[in-house]
Amino acid sequence: MKIQSTNQGDIHVLELSGELDYHSSPELREKLTELTVKQASKILVNLSGVDYMDSSGIATFVEAFQKAKRYQGRLILAALTPTVRGVFEIAKLDSIFEITSTVAEAEKCLGAKA
Amino acid sequence: MEKRFELNASSEVLSPFRKELRQILSHAGWKKKTTEEILLAVDEALTNIIRHAYQGGPGKMTVSVVAADDRIEIVLEDWGKKFDPTQVPPPELPRQKPGGLGVHFIRTIMDEMIYEGQGSGGNRLRLIKRKNKI
Repeated sequence: MKIQSTNQGDIHVLELSGELDYHSSPELREKLTELTVKQASKILVNLSGVDYMDSSGIATFVEAFQKAKRYQGRLILAALTPTVRGVFEIAKLDSIFEITSTVAEAEKCLGAKA
Repeated sequence: MEKRFELNASSEVLSPFRKELRQILSHAGWKKKTTEEILLAVDEALTNIIRHAYQGGPGKMTVSVVAADDRIEIVLEDWGKKFDPTQVPPPELPRQKPGGLGVHFIRTIMDEMIYEGQGSGGNRLRLIKRKNKI
């Protein structure tokens, strides 16, 4: 899995590509922890390039989501592939997370500032 | 069609194994959505072997795949610490804490999850998915 980290104004963007499983999720956990430790208020995870995800990936997002919630931060998951969305649905987590169809929509939700 | 894989109990093997299993399922005529779901279930079972049976240490695991016209049967074996996923209670959903979803995924996706143990120690888990349930 590849993780590209950028800033779009005041939004921290993580763009993921490849497979998110028990092997690769620690790397994502590390990146998300870096952001939640410094209490990043707006985190956008672009999942358009992720074609596989297992429960380790879900657990990583649940952990980051809970941490961000504690300091009133927001974490939005954007542009999920049908396979990844299916995993959230089986876990019944699609209603818990903030999920948007596109990255642009997520940016709008987070009130992107240049 | 029958195929047997011998794998090291390491997270590195998961992705290449999924690639092989994806091909088998595709050749056996499974739809893409169900193929991805079966891959997830088997992946979770293998992850449980790595995490719970071998607790991150070295070990062997085997996967036997039988692709029949009407179903696929996958048998996973290891020689680690006893771990019976059928005894794991169902999680409360939606789960607000990280973890605890792997066995739920296996139960939801597969038609049968049968734990058979191993006489000489270790675990044997049989997973079955029938095509008429697509």
